[in-house]
Amino acid sequence: MASISARRLKKELTEINHEGTPTGIKLLSADDFETWFFSIEVLGNTLYQGEVFKLMFRFDGHYPISSPAVQFVVDQTHQAPIHPHVYSNGHICASILGNDWSPVLSVASVCITLQSMLASCKSKERPPDNDRYVAHAPDNPKKTRFHYDVDRV
Amino acid sequence: MNRPPTSGPPPEAPRLKSTGLPNDEPQAQLPSQNHPGVSGPPTDFMGGHPILPEDMDIRDLPSNQLYEMNQNLMAESVSTRPLIDQLTPMEVLRAEYENGSRTFVSQIDYLMNKGYRHIWRARGDGDCFYRSLAYAFVLNMLDAPQAEREIVVATALSQLQSCKPMLSQAGFEPIAYDMFYEAFEAVIQSVVSATEEYGLLTSDSLLRIFQDANNSNEIVAFLRLLTSAQIRLNPDEYAAFIIDMEPTQFCNNHVEPLGKEADHIQVSALADAMQIRVQIAYLDGHKANEVDFIDVGNKNSKEPLLLLYRPGHYDILSRKVM
Repeated sequence: MASISARRLKKELTEINHEGTPTGIKLLSADDFETWFFSIEVLGNTLYQGEVFKLMFRFDGHYPISSPAVQFVVDQTHQAPIHPHVYSNGHICASILGNDWSPVLSVASVCITLQSMLASCKSKERPPDNDRYVAHAPDNPKKTRFHYDVDRV
Repeated sequence: MNRPPTSGPPPEAPRLKSTGLPNDEPQAQLPSQNHPGVSGPPTDFMGGHPILPEDMDIRDLPSNQLYEMNQNLMAESVSTRPLIDQLTPMEVLRAEYENGSRTFVSQIDYLMNKGYRHIWRARGDGDCFYRSLAYAFVLNMLDAPQAEREIVVATALSQLQSCKPMLSQAGFEPIAYDMFYEAFEAVIQSVVSATEEYGLLTSDSLLRIFQDANNSNEIVAFLRLLTSAQIRLNPDEYAAFIIDMEPTQFCNNHVEPLGKEADHIQVSALADAMQIRVQIAYLDGHKANEVDFIDVGNKNSKEPLLLLYRPGHYDILSRKVM
């Protein structure tokens, strides 16, 4: 039998192809069941008006039992949004991507949650420990253990 | 046993407030919260910061060491014990307490004298209750006399089927539970009829299925969703036992994610949802020379599932033999 991640991602992809993605979110590529890319923008009157970000999802064979590794892409054409939970290397500190992940969540629901996180942002700033974290961060954000605490947005 | 305290927020920790925010961004999209289900509206979550060593400046740490530190932190919460270990004599457990608590030893002796001679140990990964319960559930069917097995399995399958509407009523999308439901169903079916994946179930193959992370965790995930649905659909019954948060938030944070331990509320919710009777032997050091058995769920069921509780952990207790 195909791996659990392939079975589930196939279903999610079918759903995305049939029902489309939520407003402001576009599937850029899903060539395999390992890495998917989305573009994400926050519509309406927010601090990120006019900005388009690129999200990368990486899945291991145990998805959705294990969480996807999700980060903003930082390259020549893309930057990570300036947000108190987003590091300049694109890593995101959000409990739903860590120990609050559950198989009830999906690629689409993660996109919507991140969109909502940006939409509700009150001040554009980096996390206070950005430089220290980014200097030594592992490539895969799942290898970082985050301490989740009171939200200060 | 318990995950280290750093692995999860305390239940009373404040959450990202994204409902009831001042409405100063009329055009911004802030969909409603706390609705479960794949592709549904977003879920509440907390932000935070990466865990850095407190007593040293992270800048002094070479990146390979930092990486190693991360790896160690991740590994320490995962034991090397099989997800469900083979049948183990109670004497093995007793030996572990002989240099420690005399009360525990006296309680283990009590169980042994009562005829409870073996346990199947579950890995202490936060899923031990769900995994133990599922294992005991299938084992009970396997142990049923040949003549009754068909009916026992048919009853279990129809009970399981009747849970399906509950899951969608609770707001879960089929995509979120179908695979897990099918995984559990297939194991139960194989008790009486050989399936392509498992053949005809034996106690050995049951153990192998539960030791396989994929099979085992799919079943755990299913039981977690069932527990969550039961609480979401009957919040008034369980709200009194949930401190400082709404039942839906409790389900989001403490029931649905794998690795989150079960307290009494999850235990009774799952027993209620599956309409099963669970008897839990409390090996908790509170009483010397005696062990309390707590009866949960459907009291009319004649063959209860037997679990052994030690503070923060569940294992499967084998049936009495005299």
